[in-house]
Amino acid sequence: MSNHNPDAPKHLKHYFANVDQQYETSKFAMWAFILTEVLTFAGLFVAYIVFRSWYPDMFVDAHKLLDVNKGLMNTIVLITSSLTMALAIWAIQKNNRKLSLIMLIATFVFAFCFLGIKFLEYSHKFEVGQLPGEYYSYMGPEVVHLNNPHIFFSIYFIMTGLHGLHVAIGMGLIAWLIYATYKGNLSSEYYTPMEMIGIFWHLVDLIWIYLFPLFYLIG
Amino acid sequence: MIENIKQNYLNHPKGLMSWLLTLDHKRIGLMYLVSGILFFFLGGLLALVMRMELAAPGNDFISNDTYNNVYTLHGAIMIFLFIIPAIPGALGNILLPLMVGAKDVAFPRLNLASFYIYSFGALFAMYTIINGGVDTGWTFYTPYSTQSTSNVVPMTLGIFIIGFSSILTGLNFIATVHKMRIPGLTWYKLPLFVWALYGTSLVQITATPVLAITMVLLMLERFLGIGIFDPALGGDPVLYQHFFWFYSHPAVYIMILPAFGIISEIIPVHSRKKIWGYKFIAYSTLSIAFIGFLVWGHHMFTSGQSVFSQIVFSFITYFVGIPTGVKIFSWILTMYKGQVSFTPPMLYALSFLFLFTIGGLTGIFLGAVALDIHLHDTYFVVAHFHYVMQGGTIVAFLGGLHHWWPKSFGVMYNQTIAKICAFGVFLGFNGTFFPQFLLGLRGMPRRYATYSEEFVELHSYSTFWSGILGISIFIAIMNLFWSFIKKNKVDPGSNPWGGMTLEWTHTSSPPHPHNFEEEPVLEHGPYDYDKVIVEKTYK
Amino acid sequence: MSEHHITPLRTYLIIAASLLFLSGVTVWVSYVDLGPLNIVVAMLVATIKASLVAFFFMHLLWDDKKNLTMFLMSLMFFGIFVTITLLDTEFRGDLDLNPEVKDPINKRAAFYDTLPLTDTHGHPVDEHSDNHHEDKDHH
Repeated sequence: MSNHNPDAPKHLKHYFANVDQQYETSKFAMWAFILTEVLTFAGLFVAYIVFRSWYPDMFVDAHKLLDVNKGLMNTIVLITSSLTMALAIWAIQKNNRKLSLIMLIATFVFAFCFLGIKFLEYSHKFEVGQLPGEYYSYMGPEVVHLNNPHIFFSIYFIMTGLHGLHVAIGMGLIAWLIYATYKGNLSSEYYTPMEMIGIFWHLVDLIWIYLFPLFYLIG
Repeated sequence: MIENIKQNYLNHPKGLMSWLLTLDHKRIGLMYLVSGILFFFLGGLLALVMRMELAAPGNDFISNDTYNNVYTLHGAIMIFLFIIPAIPGALGNILLPLMVGAKDVAFPRLNLASFYIYSFGALFAMYTIINGGVDTGWTFYTPYSTQSTSNVVPMTLGIFIIGFSSILTGLNFIATVHKMRIPGLTWYKLPLFVWALYGTSLVQITATPVLAITMVLLMLERFLGIGIFDPALGGDPVLYQHFFWFYSHPAVYIMILPAFGIISEIIPVHSRKKIWGYKFIAYSTLSIAFIGFLVWGHHMFTSGQSVFSQIVFSFITYFVGIPTGVKIFSWILTMYKGQVSFTPPMLYALSFLFLFTIGGLTGIFLGAVALDIHLHDTYFVVAHFHYVMQGGTIVAFLGGLHHWWPKSFGVMYNQTIAKICAFGVFLGFNGTFFPQFLLGLRGMPRRYATYSEEFVELHSYSTFWSGILGISIFIAIMNLFWSFIKKNKVDPGSNPWGGMTLEWTHTSSPPHPHNFEEEPVLEHGPYDYDKVIVEKTYK
Repeated sequence: MSEHHITPLRTYLIIAASLLFLSGVTVWVSYVDLGPLNIVVAMLVATIKASLVAFFFMHLLWDDKKNLTMFLMSLMFFGIFVTITLLDTEFRGDLDLNPEVKDPINKRAAFYDTLPLTDTHGHPVDEHSDNHHEDKDHH
């Protein structure tokens, strides 16, 4: 359904009065969506807080089994990807499509690195038996004196797993952006999808900013 | 059926694909209405099966195990497949853009996606029914839900998926209300139904994600034995209840706020009088939405949570009744010295005032910890929530359907039958559920398929009147749809009740596909009966 | 399209550098034992980093204030969820005089009794003694 006004841009939907209203509405709706994401992770953070208050020593000792170096590398990778995402938007605002494309590809590559490092971490844990719930079998010297270390790993896997799922979804969205930018569908005139996906990507970074200290650095 | 009315959203565009792929909020609303009513009837049938079993003590009608499945499915279908999705989805979708003067919601494709996601989730619920049901109660409390061999996973997966539909609808409505009002339509000139949908949508987007994560954790607990809810593995079953009720208490406000909005529309129009306390009603909607997030533990008074938290929850629960009381007084004061006509919508609104007040007050009784210790999990609670959800929301929903039916579909239903059914619903409802307060006070537990002889009399009254209630609701709804077959068309420009909001004054009945021929110019407030004379065509 | 605020390149680079620096700080501080302050400092640094991301990368500093309100509301409801839940979990068994009921969380899941001890690679070790490990923390 096209706008009645023949001068209206192609991307303006007929039920919006002008492009500004459309842009502002999309951004606002994206922030409402961010609210829902915060509350989804909120449940998991509550579980973390509650179980940490019940098993304080177990959490402190079990966390030592996590690889801080990999965690820090992931933090650096994600922060850098946030920068490249912001720069992709900066570039498209200046109508520099080529630079925007490069930044988007960089973001995608960094996201892939993040998942790669996560994969290494997870596979090590699978090997030694540091698994959630009833699959837990690691009984090395660090944990024999602990109560229910499987709970730490359950919460670790669920939270980093859900976060990792969001990274993967973000990668899919960024891939779509790469395609749209390459095809010339996005420009300084209309880059709303890039901005919205950028906000999503920064949220993914935000969550990791809290996950990193809570799992890798406590104690 | 209504072809000879000029081009409207029902007859244009034509063809099955134009419906399946529609971006028109009115068509999507109609699809929610039809699905919602079908699930309502299914849930109602399950209720009647329960009442048949409870007509006499002893397992004559169905087995105990079957009974467990029946009440679980009744609750899950009514709450997750009907009330929460379909009432904002149906009336909200049809009316919200019209009431703010917009051509559609902010994100029509997302709106269609919401409907299909809801349908997809509903499929899982249907599968559960065919595959032998689920018997945990709609609350899925651990540890039984992690051990039960019934279809817990399909049902929770279905609910998880429907949750996304709820969230997307909420996002859409919030964006629409904030950003798509016509010039001059400030917040305090909005119809109160819009305020109600806005409050509902805020609760939807804030609470539903927690339900989603709870369902995920429940499924993970079943598959991986993660142990956070299982005491044998070092977890805590009460924690599950915190997670579940953090959503499910605000969910009851998702269920009632649209109903409050409908009443706020019906009463001024059918009393031809300006609403009393517009700002009170608007702000009380937001207060209820907020305070509703602070009280979830009053569902858990016998769970073993700390007494300290019980005191906190009970104390705050008393506050949540205040804004609701403010509304009831505002509605009554609106009718005072008005020209009240006893049309079918008004009859439902009056029923609402009576029935919801009883439901709301009994909620306050339950908020007292000392009382709740005895009344928890008895029929007193069952009666309370049916008074608010059915005597409240469903009655308001029926009133809303009767009020907006001529506008939405350009046809008028048989008034006499509608009024008789409204009385039938009122009498049938009280007859079914008032005895249940007494049963609860005398100790009859809920979710029991049988009971001792002392409860027979009250149960038999309840069962008898549930038949009257069921028949009245069924005929009322059939009467509405019969208006299509009878082709009792109304004039496209008609305003049978004399409403003053944009959907009555600036669109045809049924509305044009793009709602307005040209953008409406706001001339007066939504209930300015003291300033403007509006003709009503219904006599 | 009306003028959208474009964040200067310099700003983005400074913020990114600050985030990387703060990440280093938080790792370094984690090696210093501050007792109960450990978690406070860690969360403080994380919140500063998060604020930088939200205000600058996510543009909230220059946006319509409704967007910031939406975000703060999400944090508020998270706060409500945590706080009130903790009112239960921290005071569980508060009126019970029996100390066993007071601390009811099962300290040790049953399946640990059958799990063999392992080395740091997760392979079971052959142990002939040291069974008393399991009893040490068992109530």
